[in-house]
Amino acid sequence: MQVRRPDDMRERIRMLSGALRGLADRPVKVMEVCGTHTVSIFRQGLRALLPPDVELVSGPGCPVCVTSQGEIDAAVSLAGLSGTTVATYGDMLKVPGSGTTLEEERSRGADIRVVTSADQALSMARGDRKRNVVFVAVGFETTAPATASVVIDAVREDLDNFMVLNLHKSVPPALEALASDPEVKLDALLLPGHVSVITGLEPYRFLPEKYGIACAVAGFDAEDIMLALVEVTKQVRKQEPLVASLYGRAVRPLGNTEARSVMEKVFTMKDASWRGLGVIPSSGYSLREEFSRLDVLERLGMTVNSTLPPEGCMCGEVLKGLIDPPSCGLFGASCTPVHPVGPCMVSTEGSCAAFYRFQRGRRTDWEHLP
Amino acid sequence: MTIDGYTVSPLSFNGGDIGKLSVCGSANDLSVRGARPQYLALGVIAEEGLPIRELMTYMESAANVCRSLGIELVTGDSKVVPRGQVDGLFLSTCCIGRTTQTTPLGAANLRPGDSIILSCPPGMHGATIAAHRYGLKVRGLSSDCAALWPMIEPLLPVPGLRCMRDCTRGGLGTVLCEWSEAAGLGIEIDEEMIPWDEATLSVCDILGFDPLHMAGEGCAAIAVSGEDPDRALGLLRAHSLGERASVIGRVTEKHQGMVGIRTVSGGTRLVDRPVGELLPRIC
Repeated sequence: MQVRRPDDMRERIRMLSGALRGLADRPVKVMEVCGTHTVSIFRQGLRALLPPDVELVSGPGCPVCVTSQGEIDAAVSLAGLSGTTVATYGDMLKVPGSGTTLEEERSRGADIRVVTSADQALSMARGDRKRNVVFVAVGFETTAPATASVVIDAVREDLDNFMVLNLHKSVPPALEALASDPEVKLDALLLPGHVSVITGLEPYRFLPEKYGIACAVAGFDAEDIMLALVEVTKQVRKQEPLVASLYGRAVRPLGNTEARSVMEKVFTMKDASWRGLGVIPSSGYSLREEFSRLDVLERLGMTVNSTLPPEGCMCGEVLKGLIDPPSCGLFGASCTPVHPVGPCMVSTEGSCAAFYRFQRGRRTDWEHLP
Repeated sequence: MTIDGYTVSPLSFNGGDIGKLSVCGSANDLSVRGARPQYLALGVIAEEGLPIRELMTYMESAANVCRSLGIELVTGDSKVVPRGQVDGLFLSTCCIGRTTQTTPLGAANLRPGDSIILSCPPGMHGATIAAHRYGLKVRGLSSDCAALWPMIEPLLPVPGLRCMRDCTRGGLGTVLCEWSEAAGLGIEIDEEMIPWDEATLSVCDILGFDPLHMAGEGCAAIAVSGEDPDRALGLLRAHSLGERASVIGRVTEKHQGMVGIRTVSGGTRLVDRPVGELLPRIC
């Protein structure tokens, strides 16, 4: 995100900022889809370097943010079962369900452990066959292949104490939902780098072809992001939208076919509910029938309840790029990173948290810094 | 006088162990207030089953730091608790020191124009522990765990020395936020001037942590009068712990109670402090 720092970085970014200024001959609304991009843009302070005509809005690419409250409730209730360990990615701990969070349940004695890979969760199940281990499988195409791979391993090893709360979602259908929403009106998209490593470029072609949206797959350094902004602004100006890849060092046009074939073997697509965006057709990964005994909801006969968002919370509008976070009435008042109301303030990759932490709202008046 | 508890996991890490940490941590708390650490009390709570030989290794590490600083261990206590009640070994140390400073060092001394110096790369201890906790192997990664007194002692007579802090829990970002709030002044830093450790940055990059939030255990932020940062800088660089010391920013009248950073890209943003436990991101 911020490691690679060539000596002439500031000069290079200054030149790109100048190029962008020259290219933007009309207002351009660009959505960065991925939460990692959102954080990188804020952490690098790039918003202060953009010309007024280039507007950046954050999209639905923070896995925690789009996980529904009912799904969090399901994870919390699993943590309450005796003899059960819930293994989860760290971001999920603080997200409020309708009553409590996994973090609160852990402090009350529930066995909830943070993992950084699906494989660590599987190892826990191997290590203690008497305990049930439920892996909270969250994320997009980036993490879904790892879940698919451990599901195959668990079946092969006959590990019947390993189960998955499968909440995986797919990015391209969510982008189609946004592109076809007449309210949203995007000119361009910065496509997610990590997801594209798996998907390749093909799944995004409909965006320029059907909706006329300029697209660039971007890496996560400041220079990657600025180059991608220059690229999409150029496409908008020339009115020649396409899917450009500016992350060639990681993304192959066809993506990672091996990872996709593992996913194909394990998952089938189903409609999924996204927090803020509602139900999007064929946007959720569901375990195929031969693996369904690993699906904890199916094994225990549980269902995910649909719940209403907290009163006044505008995370839905934020995730669609309709408003910026400071426009929400709760922002910075009753909703802060210490006392978050909505998921976009909880997640470190949420745009509300980024606006609060790095700008205290819309503050960008640091131009006189050394 | 200062007291602190030490519950690090793993007990032994690249660059130190819980014994060394428990003495350095409390001694550093005194050192940055300008006091020479002199006497130590040590409390030991060990989990049943911890090998005696391992315990003695940690005690030897603690003793080595005491010897090197001339600290006398004056009292102590040990308890063994049933397996599972503590994670291997918990230590607590209480350290007493003596200061000859006539004006206490503290954030209240800060004035607009003061220079902020950082003695070494920030976040190395936190990154080392996080890498271990989350199963990352990163070449060249090591905790900065060290006793600061030998580096700090020569600084104390420098006129214009305002305040110092070891950048432990919450990292450099938290220290600067606390200073700006306590002094009611702004602080501006330049990311390019921070002497980064590449291995620490790699760990933060992978886990999604802000390196400004990562703890150090041998890294001090030092504020001196803006007129003469070079004297303090020279004294710091003369010691091996401070050889990468650098002026990273200054105190301002504007932006009271806030810390701003010019990033390596030339953009600007606020520096915040972490909320709760640092948790790795999903992807």
